[in-house]
Amino acid sequence: MLKIYVTSIHVDNQEKALNFYTKILGFIKKNEVPLGEHKWLTVVSPDEQLGVELLLEPMTFEPAKVYQKALKEAGIPCTSFEVDDLEREFERLKLLGVQFSMSPKEAGTVKIAVLDDTCGNYIQLMQQL
Amino acid sequence: MPIKTENMPNTNKTFFEAEIDKIYESGPFSRQMYLQVRQSKHFMELYYMNKLELDDLANAAFLSRFHYVRVFKRMYGLTPRVYLRNLRLNKAKDLIKNGISITTVCFDIGYESPSTFSSVFKKCTGYSPKEYQQLHSAI
Repeated sequence: MLKIYVTSIHVDNQEKALNFYTKILGFIKKNEVPLGEHKWLTVVSPDEQLGVELLLEPMTFEPAKVYQKALKEAGIPCTSFEVDDLEREFERLKLLGVQFSMSPKEAGTVKIAVLDDTCGNYIQLMQQL
Repeated sequence: MPIKTENMPNTNKTFFEAEIDKIYESGPFSRQMYLQVRQSKHFMELYYMNKLELDDLANAAFLSRFHYVRVFKRMYGLTPRVYLRNLRLNKAKDLIKNGISITTVCFDIGYESPSTFSSVFKKCTGYSPKEYQQLHSAI
């Protein structure tokens, strides 16, 4: 049986990304394996340490940089994380200096907000209503 | 960075935010309908440990059974029955991780039969409750 065990996000700097995704967002580092000049670097949610890993993938491919930049300029998040209480998380992250391109807003069965991960991406936070 | 598009004069909304607005303003359901169905989902979150019938859920949304199932699936992408099963399993995972015995977990989340609980848990997580308990005791 095939299993989805990892999903990736391109980051402009792995060390900066690790700092943001662990110290600010609250994930836990799971794997750090040196691979040439970069690393296989993954984080997981503290509550889902056996779950899908997020790979902080170094942005080294020029065409991908164009795609990433276009998404960012349109305010389109490259992925989405679930939270239990969006308003609480929004306030917590704002206090830590995180920039949001979209404040919490209801949209049908969800409430969403969009933050800047400082590594080239917008990330959507989603609370199911 | 907020950008302007042809359809977005004098706004600071990003393209993404404008698309979100468009989708939900032109959607098939009224805000009131969303509130009603969300209320039934909240009902499940409060009473998942009890025996819940479809009529209870439909009543919580002030809809007929048939209409309720159809609307819930359209909104959430799965049926109320599957949503309730997933909700119970997520609660089960939390309780098992916190060291509660598997039999206690089974009854605490609204299952009446440990064998049914084990079989559903294995089918949905890939692990039996016992295996899941062992994995988490090792973390």
